[in-house]
Amino acid sequence: MTTAPQAANTAEVTEIDTSARWPLLLLLGSALLWLVLSGILALVNLMQLHTPEFLAGCSAMTYGRSSAIQETAFIYGWAANSGLAVALWLLARLGGAPLRSLNWVVAGTLFWNFALVLGIAGIATGDMTSNAWLHLPGYVLPMLLVAYGTIAVPGVLAWMGRRKEMTFAAQWYAVAALFLFPWLFSIAQMMLVFAPERGVLQALVAGWFVQGAWTLWLAPLALAAAYYLVPKVTGRIIPSYDFAQLSFWTLLFVGAWTGGRHLIGGPVPAWVATIAVVSCALLLFHYIVVAVNLRGAFCGGGSTVLKFVAFGLVAYVVGGFLDAYTAMRGVAVHTQFTHFSEGQSQLALNGAFSMLMYGAIYFLAPRITGLAWPSVPMIRAHYAAALTGTVILVVTLIGAGCVQGHDLNTATIPFADIAGHVRPWLLAATAGQAILLLGNLLLATHLFWLAAAKAATPAVFNPAPTMEASVS
Amino acid sequence: MKNGFTFFLGLFLAVALAWAGIVMGSHVQLGQLAPYFDENEGKAFPERMPGIAAQGQLVYQDLGCAACHTQQVRRPDFGSDKARGWGDRQSVARDYVSQAHVQLGESRVGPDLATFGARPLAVDATRLTQYLYEPHGGMPAYRFLFEERKITGERSADALKAAAPAGYEIIPTHRAVSLVAYLQSLNNVYEYPEARPVEPAAAKEGESK
Amino acid sequence: MSDLTPKDPRVEQAGASDESLQAAHEKLLGRKPDDGAHYKMLPLVLLFVFSGLIFYAGTYLNHYSARYDATVFDENGHSTKGVTAMAKVDPMVLGKKNFELVCATCHQVTGLGVPGVYPPLAESEWVNGSEERLIRIVLHGLKGPVSVKGTVYSAAAMPVFGKVAGSGYNWSDDKIAAVLTYIRASFGNKAPAVTSEQVAAIHAKEGDRKEWSAEELSKLP
Repeated sequence: MTTAPQAANTAEVTEIDTSARWPLLLLLGSALLWLVLSGILALVNLMQLHTPEFLAGCSAMTYGRSSAIQETAFIYGWAANSGLAVALWLLARLGGAPLRSLNWVVAGTLFWNFALVLGIAGIATGDMTSNAWLHLPGYVLPMLLVAYGTIAVPGVLAWMGRRKEMTFAAQWYAVAALFLFPWLFSIAQMMLVFAPERGVLQALVAGWFVQGAWTLWLAPLALAAAYYLVPKVTGRIIPSYDFAQLSFWTLLFVGAWTGGRHLIGGPVPAWVATIAVVSCALLLFHYIVVAVNLRGAFCGGGSTVLKFVAFGLVAYVVGGFLDAYTAMRGVAVHTQFTHFSEGQSQLALNGAFSMLMYGAIYFLAPRITGLAWPSVPMIRAHYAAALTGTVILVVTLIGAGCVQGHDLNTATIPFADIAGHVRPWLLAATAGQAILLLGNLLLATHLFWLAAAKAATPAVFNPAPTMEASVS
Repeated sequence: MKNGFTFFLGLFLAVALAWAGIVMGSHVQLGQLAPYFDENEGKAFPERMPGIAAQGQLVYQDLGCAACHTQQVRRPDFGSDKARGWGDRQSVARDYVSQAHVQLGESRVGPDLATFGARPLAVDATRLTQYLYEPHGGMPAYRFLFEERKITGERSADALKAAAPAGYEIIPTHRAVSLVAYLQSLNNVYEYPEARPVEPAAAKEGESK
Repeated sequence: MSDLTPKDPRVEQAGASDESLQAAHEKLLGRKPDDGAHYKMLPLVLLFVFSGLIFYAGTYLNHYSARYDATVFDENGHSTKGVTAMAKVDPMVLGKKNFELVCATCHQVTGLGVPGVYPPLAESEWVNGSEERLIRIVLHGLKGPVSVKGTVYSAAAMPVFGKVAGSGYNWSDDKIAAVLTYIRASFGNKAPAVTSEQVAAIHAKEGDRKEWSAEELSKLP
């Protein structure tokens, strides 16, 4: 690279990171609290699945409610808070200027989490709306929307005021996620909660929202982290980068069309499901390009961050292929309505999204606090627990789904016997979830330790080398 | 991606197109879907839910019953819904037009309930109420929908045949009663024109076109 | 502090500065895909995959979209419109129900009417005779004196049943046909059925009008 001498800014940590310290720690801290809560509830839910009478006497913890609370805590608690933290930080760094109006972030985070607590209390006491990914009662939805807008403001400012006109892939994904969620969320709450659509259209709107929230919000947040971390840590450019753009637009334009994904064979016109099947297949292009672009994560040379990222990417790409496979009608007839679908969503949420976020957290926390993580064994233990826990959880749920799907479609097997056949798999899944929860407890403890540590080791950053723009 | 405006237009279109296609497209087709009036029977299907059943639907919704039960029957050659006795025909959009909140569900940990009202368990309200209190076959008990009340004078006619401390009886609350009414009202069996399986002859003719 | 090796997980070191990272990728985007005539496999394969997926998607959509019909729920199915669309209505069932619900108030369930007040339908020449007249009576009503089976009913007041102006019942042509078919095949009557098309034809021909008189009707075939 001959142009643009880089001597001006080789310091790895600048005011960009230190000024955002407390707002980002607030977001990450609340994210991890929600993650632990949702992990505990996930454990309870799995136990209820194989032992139905567990906590059945408590109305707030009846399976229907506790699973809704678990899902809500994961998506609106963990995923939203952590994803926003990472997106804001990325946009600030790549925009080349410190985040402005950080007070908005603090106020928004407090408001968001307050509304979420209120909403979850509402679910527990009987205000649940029973829409997938939108169980929250109507009265907190506008609050969440406002709070989200408040948190996202500095991110938008960082994007608008970026130093360079040209943008990098991580920025596209982060900005897309920041902008698209309010759209999806406000349309969904209007059409489902405040002025509900007629008949099965409700199920269609819900399907569109769930698939949209994954492909246009959570997946882009996770990918923003991955597209930044891989070249940043390896110091090598992204191979076949010219396809990244096409892949980005494929995800955005095709993603929400998969809305009829879970309505195959259902009471909606056949074309809705057909379009979803086709869209799942088209998205394969996106997954292939992501795999090609970010294969550098697998030659990370011992970097812990990249280990998380590599696992997250495998989960993301495998999840995409599995999605396309199970969307085919001949396969869907066996896998839909079973634990298989649950396994897939755990693969996407715990496997892809969370792993990429863990990687990002390990990378950014020392930079914003200026402190090194206190303990190496804790990081290693978390990685081991997250990896084994997720793998066991996903594999056993998928196994359970295969057994359940086979049994359901074999009418000679009495319905009451199916639970017995699935039980061993669910017991193993419970073990997987317990390991995962243990790992997440470690991460949460570790982050609070890092934030509170007075005598911690200051982080020392080597000057960052200049990246060569050679064609690989 | 130099042009910020094009970029935002792209983002906007990404949401707007999928929304227009999936949500509005089907809204145009199904948004005005009316009940089907049967001249022979002289009434429209699906029938309106009785008020108590509509209250029961809210109970079904706030307890999250849809986490384990679907309310959609797949067509006979797609899965074994018919063989399991869950319904002879595919559920169609019209089945749901009179429901305030549609609970299609995505998991079959428990059986499908689209035609539950016609099954032996649901026909007898007393038996179904008893089942919610003391289920067998994998469903958790919903005891918080019942109350233990001291017997004053005669035993209540609604009291369950369940073990209660001496001098007490188990009475279903209004929530339990309405939930039972709702479950009994689930009976999507009317054969709409669009719900009838395609006749083989018609299918062949279509293929040769 | 000194033990912070480059790969210490406690502090991940960066492999590139943000600015150089952006600058390097910016350069890549501006590049032509086949820069310097280096023939490359990967971009070609990716493009091939992309077009393959689009081809598959188009084919599948073409086969299984069921013509975007709102009433087709089976992706292999075809529109049910026209062929099997309407439920088969049994005119005798529908006719009997409506007769007993409405007509029987005056003409009685037995079809014998009330002597001197309401004329009988059983073996009536009006019922078993010309469809043209019978349909008009039900469609638009009948007022004034009328003779049935030799008895004169001086103030007959058959109400308006059809979907015409001034009607209190607004019965569809189908329903009228069903009721007429029923009365023509009951109470010992054995006249042929009346079809909806016959009713519709007369409905269309006459449109809205006042009640018929027996005299007007007798001029019709």
